[in-house]
Amino acid sequence: MSNREKLQAMLVSVFLLEESEFSFARQRGEVDTWDSLGVVALAVGIEESFGYHCRPEEANALRSFQDVLELLERKGISFVE
Amino acid sequence: MADVCNPCDRRWQMRVLTDDEVNADLTLLDQAWSEPETFAFLPRKHGLATGWIEHALEAIPPQMSQGHFALLTSGSTGLPKLVVGARARAEAIVEVLHTLQASGPVARSFLMLPLTYCYAFVNQWLWARRHGRELVQTRGFADPQQLETLLDRTAEAMLCLVGGQAAMLPKLFGDRTFSGIIRLHFAGGRFPQEHLDRLERMFPEAAIFNNYGCAEAMPRLTLRPARASDSALNIGTPLPGIELATTGSGELSFRSPYAAVGFVDGDGWQGVRSDAFVATGDFAARAERGQWILSGRANEVFKRYGEKIAIPQILERLLPAWPGQMASYQEVDRSGEQGFVLVLCPVATEVQVHAILRLLRAHFTRSHWPLRIESVPAIPLLANGKPNPGVLRNDPSKTMHWHQRV
Repeated sequence: MSNREKLQAMLVSVFLLEESEFSFARQRGEVDTWDSLGVVALAVGIEESFGYHCRPEEANALRSFQDVLELLERKGISFVE
Repeated sequence: MADVCNPCDRRWQMRVLTDDEVNADLTLLDQAWSEPETFAFLPRKHGLATGWIEHALEAIPPQMSQGHFALLTSGSTGLPKLVVGARARAEAIVEVLHTLQASGPVARSFLMLPLTYCYAFVNQWLWARRHGRELVQTRGFADPQQLETLLDRTAEAMLCLVGGQAAMLPKLFGDRTFSGIIRLHFAGGRFPQEHLDRLERMFPEAAIFNNYGCAEAMPRLTLRPARASDSALNIGTPLPGIELATTGSGELSFRSPYAAVGFVDGDGWQGVRSDAFVATGDFAARAERGQWILSGRANEVFKRYGEKIAIPQILERLLPAWPGQMASYQEVDRSGEQGFVLVLCPVATEVQVHAILRLLRAHFTRSHWPLRIESVPAIPLLANGKPNPGVLRNDPSKTMHWHQRV
């Protein structure tokens, strides 16, 4: 499983999305389950899946799934296929 | 969707407002309150079976058709209730609270809870309306940046939170201080006594209160200034005119001139006589100086992040997706909030678990979701035939299918 697939699977599980709903372009405001507890779950999901301890302010600042990917890229995780 | 309240599809006479439309236009509530006709104010997404709301609205007696309002709650038993209040009583308790809490200097109130909660509806919206104060709608912790900006720029403001939100504040705002908040109220679950020092540093100008009540009380029963006790379970003393008592088993009940006039539950319309004591669903004992101490809650019903969670009600909603047995055991999450683990039997397939997750998302907010979904080949039982949660918790044959990561 590539890192991109791993990230997608984690986001689908955290936000209870259908596979067909998923897109990295998805914005926070478009995901009804991206609530305050969802922010906590996302931070835990990032740590579980990629080993990066996401600080609360970082998790709060994420506005899209693309933001999650870019945060992890900045931490040295490659999403090049 | 079957359990979504659609105001365009009313088959009953009573006016129904949903949270969606009111959040978009708060004047709708003002208008409804100003007009004599009774109205219902309901969450669009309520997780109830198809037709439950319609039947409940139809059960309200015609003599309630003016001067009242109806709100949906899980009630003192954890089962759904449509609670009907008298507007005059709600306005009266607002005046009592305004005086007791010395709310005169408060110029605005920040809304961080769903307005369909009785606590937010009466304590904030109605209070703001009665006293000509500003009600500031926020997205709460779903948009912490907006919230931080608002808190930073405000003056003479009141915040009403549920206990579970206290732990989120330092996580989001660190050591920041917000001196514009002068009243800070907590209700809905255990008072966050362990966070009190930090709350006082974050809100240095705020008088902090523990409020206790329920929707049937519309909504308040007691008040405790935060420093009046060191115990989170101390709910303080009853508001003027309100009597508390316990039954032989220790269950707390109340009699209040501000209480709901009745409610609709699975048994239909239940009028509340003005001389009757009403059960709260909590266990409590009287303490010194007229204070009351909570001692526990009914089994399988608990507060999580301020919301009352009734496990049987959630499991019932999941039945269409799961043909086997369901059991649960309780556990706290990383923030120390009570939650539950759903256990399926026999071992589930990923397709079945997916169907359950789809129902959870469709019918419940995240705080109602289980912390994990597990399955076992056989559910261990107690002598009385009920699932044994202690054995279930440590069952080595369990398979974990999904976890909420909170």
